[in-house]
Amino acid sequence: MHNAPKPNLEDLPTKSQLRRSALIASIGAVAIGVMVYMPAELGRDPTGVGTLLGLTEMGEIKQQLAAEAAADAATHGQEESSLMNDVFGLFVSTAEAQETWKDEIVFSLEPGASTEIKATMEEGATLFYSWTVEGGRINFDLHAHAGGQNVSYEKGRGDKRGRGSFTTPFAGDHGWFWRNRSKGEVTVTLKLRGEYSAIVRGE
Amino acid sequence: MKTVSDGVRRRFARGAFVVLTLLGLSATMALAHDVTPGDAGYIQEIWGVHVIPFIYLGAKHMITGYDHILFLLGVVFFLYHMKDVAIYVSLFAVGHSVTMLLGVWFGWGINAYIIDAIIGLSVVYKALDNLGAFQRWFGVQPNTKAATLIFGLFHGTGLASKILEYRIDEDGLLPNLLAFNVGVELGQLTALFVILIVMGYWRHNPNFMRQATYANVVMVGLGILLTAQQIAGFVASA
Repeated sequence: MHNAPKPNLEDLPTKSQLRRSALIASIGAVAIGVMVYMPAELGRDPTGVGTLLGLTEMGEIKQQLAAEAAADAATHGQEESSLMNDVFGLFVSTAEAQETWKDEIVFSLEPGASTEIKATMEEGATLFYSWTVEGGRINFDLHAHAGGQNVSYEKGRGDKRGRGSFTTPFAGDHGWFWRNRSKGEVTVTLKLRGEYSAIVRGE
Repeated sequence: MKTVSDGVRRRFARGAFVVLTLLGLSATMALAHDVTPGDAGYIQEIWGVHVIPFIYLGAKHMITGYDHILFLLGVVFFLYHMKDVAIYVSLFAVGHSVTMLLGVWFGWGINAYIIDAIIGLSVVYKALDNLGAFQRWFGVQPNTKAATLIFGLFHGTGLASKILEYRIDEDGLLPNLLAFNVGVELGQLTALFVILIVMGYWRHNPNFMRQATYANVVMVGLGILLTAQQIAGFVASA
């Protein structure tokens, strides 16, 4: 027993109608697969339609994030990798003349590019910062991970400036992951002062 | 970070159904600088109006959302006329759109496990309804249109809590949300198109009514499984 009667054959679509619908569905599935799914998930766009629709960018970002997650997983547990340990001296100028800031760091990022800038700090140390962006907007993640501990102070996207301070819950390198999701190159000016011994940069 | 890790646990709680989610969706992990891959990762990297990408994400969410698809299948199982299909699917669409848009806009923070458990129960309800269980047990047929609308409201609340987890930027939120909603409806129509073809062939089978009984019993089971997984997830997270 059901809450509905048996279907009358004359109410149903005929077999030939169903075959036609199935054909349309199959063609549609292939078209969606190639023109929508591939660009939006894999960042590959054989037909050019995905780029027209703005979906290829999504696929490219997803692929980039997946690659980063895989790379992070491969190096997980050895956060103090060689990448992070190059002392970042190139753009650092100890600028006594500029008010109270200890360091001013200027760097540029192409669209899609990212970098990390961190300060080596003891537990309970405080860092003050101020930064501005020119040429576009920036995404960032102010965080630290060392010795199996993690902290995330602040995350943002599409921002043009930031200002504030944080106090470390554990010793290690604390700072920013920056990524440019703007259309053009951006230049970030980051000013720092506080209790830190070095500035390190990772690509 | 709490929302992300909750999301991970709930996804794992869905166990057997992870197969149905697309690549990348299930692999949300908090790593070095907190890389969030997949759809959520993409959304958290962007700001401003992105109409077509959000239509795509809405459609993908619906098509890969097996709980919504199961309910939809239950609703149209015994609808033999396109006019009825249109009425019931519209009721479901109105229901889930209302709570999805309002839920995101006002940030209704309803526990996602609880709402997903209710969505699992909606599948159980509809399959029992198809089996004529309410007529047999209580001697009445509850209004099927009202049930579709009311469960639509719950499905929309579930959609809203998923979208809130995505943390869409304030910049462009309303157009992006509306685009996502359009995508949900397009995804639903796409799924419906395929469901109706399969059902069309099936209904020609002389044993359809007998097999329909088995199918709806299986749907009751799947609905109970979905509900149990969500309750287990809720207990584990509490």
